[in-house]
Amino acid sequence: MTPTEWQNASTEGEVAVGRRPMFHRVLRAHPATVRDTLIAIRGRFHGQISEDTLGRLELVLAEVMNNVAKHAGPRPVSAGEVPGAEGAPLIHLCIVQHDTGLSCAITDDGVSVPDDCLLPRDLPQAETDNLPEGGFGWYLIQDLTQALCYYREHKRNFLAFCVPFTVSQRPLY
Amino acid sequence: MQLDVTEEDARIVVTVGDARIDAAVAIAFKDKVREIVLRKRKPVVMDMHNVDFMDSSGLGAMIAVRKALPEAMPLTLRGLTPNVERVFRLTRMDMVFDISPNDNSELQ
Repeated sequence: MTPTEWQNASTEGEVAVGRRPMFHRVLRAHPATVRDTLIAIRGRFHGQISEDTLGRLELVLAEVMNNVAKHAGPRPVSAGEVPGAEGAPLIHLCIVQHDTGLSCAITDDGVSVPDDCLLPRDLPQAETDNLPEGGFGWYLIQDLTQALCYYREHKRNFLAFCVPFTVSQRPLY
Repeated sequence: MQLDVTEEDARIVVTVGDARIDAAVAIAFKDKVREIVLRKRKPVVMDMHNVDFMDSSGLGAMIAVRKALPEAMPLTLRGLTPNVERVFRLTRMDMVFDISPNDNSELQ
């Protein structure tokens, strides 16, 4: 097998389809730029994956990126940036399509993610006379992803996960 | 934020014109809808068939609107698209809100 054949071989011994959409963007963590990015992602993967998967991908990425924007903290402002997004943390986002789902890697230079966000979570307590208006974000992220992992290095957060194509194929851990 | 309000004898129908209720508009959405429903003081039907994306901040805005109304005042949601329905279902807020099932014949 030549190196090229080796790269193109799938696990079933057939030649894998080599051309699949990917997505990469560097953006300021701001609700308007997050929205633009999500619309661009929808455009990139539309017709390639099911609407159901696309909906789950969009929701997870919205929660992750809006968390970065919401918890940005005080930032130095530099000139010539999107109004309202000046000095916001810089997010690097990469999405790759695999046989079983979409792998996402997101890094940002915002504040570190509190440990309890990554621990298995329950929904916020819902009492009829005092419904929670927040606290759903990390629950949704954990619920919609597989293989969620996080680490922090040199003032950057690194978050990676997979959004599976079909929820019913979720492996039992 | 585009909201179309139709007042009937026994209720008001608020149709959301925007395609997205996300972090960029959640606070404006909450303030505007809350102002409308508190001024009218009638049962509310919120038509969301134009909304094809909602995140947790949009859900938070919906919950704030529900909480602003007296508990006995009905707030019914109709026309939920799959992406919006998913957020209500995964957060179990579908148990808290009165959600009208979609009439499939209209979709065909």
